[in-house]
Amino acid sequence: MTDIIHNLKTTRTSQKPWLTLKAREMMEAWLFVSPSFIGFLIFFLGPLCAVVYYSLTEWNLLTQQATFVGLRNFENALLENPDFWHVVRNSVIFALGLVPLNMALALTLALALSRPFFGVVFFRTVFFAPVITSAIAWAIVWKFLLQGEGGFINQVLALVGITGPNWLREPGWAMAAVIITRVIKMVGLNMILYIAALQAIPRDYEEAARLEGASRWQIFSMITWPLLAPTTLVIMVITTIGSFKVFDHIYQMTGGGPENGTLVLAFYIYQQGFKFFNVGYASTLAMIMFVIVMALTIVQVMLRRKGME
Amino acid sequence: MTSLLLKGIEKHFGSVNVIRGVDLRIDDGEFVVFVGPSGCGKSTLLRLISGLEHISDGELMIGDRLVNEVQPSERGVAMVFQSYALYPHLTVRDNMGFGLKVRKVPAGERQRRINEAAATLKLDALLDRYPRELSGGQRQRVAIGRAIVGNPDVFLFDEPLSNLDAELRVHMRSEIAALHKRLSTTMIYVTHDQIEAMTLADKIVVLRDGRIEQVGSPRELYERPANMFVAQFIGSPKMNVLPAANAQLLTPAAVVPASAESVGVRPEHLKVSKAQDGIVRGKVSLCEYTGAITLLHVTLPDGQLCLVTSDDHMAPSLGSEIGLTAQAEKLHFFDHQGRREKPVSDVGVQ
Repeated sequence: MTDIIHNLKTTRTSQKPWLTLKAREMMEAWLFVSPSFIGFLIFFLGPLCAVVYYSLTEWNLLTQQATFVGLRNFENALLENPDFWHVVRNSVIFALGLVPLNMALALTLALALSRPFFGVVFFRTVFFAPVITSAIAWAIVWKFLLQGEGGFINQVLALVGITGPNWLREPGWAMAAVIITRVIKMVGLNMILYIAALQAIPRDYEEAARLEGASRWQIFSMITWPLLAPTTLVIMVITTIGSFKVFDHIYQMTGGGPENGTLVLAFYIYQQGFKFFNVGYASTLAMIMFVIVMALTIVQVMLRRKGME
Repeated sequence: MTSLLLKGIEKHFGSVNVIRGVDLRIDDGEFVVFVGPSGCGKSTLLRLISGLEHISDGELMIGDRLVNEVQPSERGVAMVFQSYALYPHLTVRDNMGFGLKVRKVPAGERQRRINEAAATLKLDALLDRYPRELSGGQRQRVAIGRAIVGNPDVFLFDEPLSNLDAELRVHMRSEIAALHKRLSTTMIYVTHDQIEAMTLADKIVVLRDGRIEQVGSPRELYERPANMFVAQFIGSPKMNVLPAANAQLLTPAAVVPASAESVGVRPEHLKVSKAQDGIVRGKVSLCEYTGAITLLHVTLPDGQLCLVTSDDHMAPSLGSEIGLTAQAEKLHFFDHQGRREKPVSDVGVQ
């Protein structure tokens, strides 16, 4: 028996491996990463490079002719086309309306639903369910509810003597309507992120603060809110990006109207690319959107870092 | 300085009774330690005193005030948590001054008290650091500092040293003892470490299943445990408990009370000798060398296992036969319910 063990040990130590341990580990790591990495190359990096190239061309999808025009499309969008700035303005209004409202509501819901009580799971499910609902289905239902005459919302308002507007057909109201319905749809995601962050804050902090005489508001403002800062930053970034990318909601509810009042950047890109077949120009607009979102994200991260310091 | 009085304190979580009628008096400036096995209710009792948990039944007096319905912050208590509970986004200075700030103490006064506490705890150089930049011991001191600046009537410590390594724990233990000496404030300390309990306490409260098993000084608990549970819980290694009949085998001088069912003898009170010199013989089944002493696991002729401590130079080898002898006055007798039986000599005196 001793001999066998001795032989085994000798065999183990005397065999020189084909590859070093580090090389083998590296190979295994790449094998695990490769499916995702290949997908990233094909479906993300490739199209991204293509968009960069197309943005420098004039390419009409119908004629299938792509002519290199350099920065002509950018010049057109930024300096000549008044629609572009109108669309950017709409996108900014949409983001400014949606992001604070979404975050405030998400935090309020999270604070209410982060502690266990009877029915808490039911309420969390109710508020999260719209997130996983089809955006188109959601928009169709709300379009129906927000009809001017005979719409459910206006019928309810009529019960208390208020004559509701034609929500999706009046320029002043259409933007508010799409923002609010979008907030209701997406607030559940941010609520879950906030709940997870709240539950990760040790209970001891709150108890220590209570013992020291802090009120509920002081505990929230001086302890909870600062500790939620990293989550708030993530939520702010993803919600801002999401608000600039909104398409399906606008497509179904207003189609960009009335009077282009809800025509936002993503929908405008779609119009240029797939309605007017100006793929080159649409790519340019996509590049501009990419830069806007990137700049906003960097600004938010920098502001948050400065705040944390 | 403030005394505390607990009268019939009970705590239920739903149908589970965690604290079952605790009566206790804690005097001004006393250092009281709650000990007991996990789940015995010692931390819950501390939280009831702090006000972080509501009392289900009974009365809690702090000083001459009934505080059952008083907010935690109005009870005049400060608590040091096991996790330290230092706010990670605040500096040491802000952590220590948090309570004063929320109570709107003027900035000048706040700084003075922070500096005073920092000087006491040697934290002066660390005031502008964040908790993440501190070692475990430093964090512990900040947590204590935060408690000190509020100038509380009662300090509550919830296993404050359990996250520290052994060496630091010993050091911090002596710091807490020194702090108590300096402040002379009533302190209540929860631990499961009996060395901490024995070294720090004026009075130890042994808890089991939400009830007090015994209250007394460390010496009292060690020398006159009220029952078998306390006898085995206090003292390390734990007391040997054998059938009462074995008392005569350990020492012929033993006078066994009539109703005694068990006899207890501490490992350090058994004398190891050569097999032929001892009154009872046993076989060494395990030797645990700890440096200063060796802990012997000895199997007695009737199969009972007995722990014995031995000086290193006397330590017998594994499997060898040794003799054991006990002193009659070091034996503890317990009745069938595990309650202490007074030695016959004590009964005679009474």
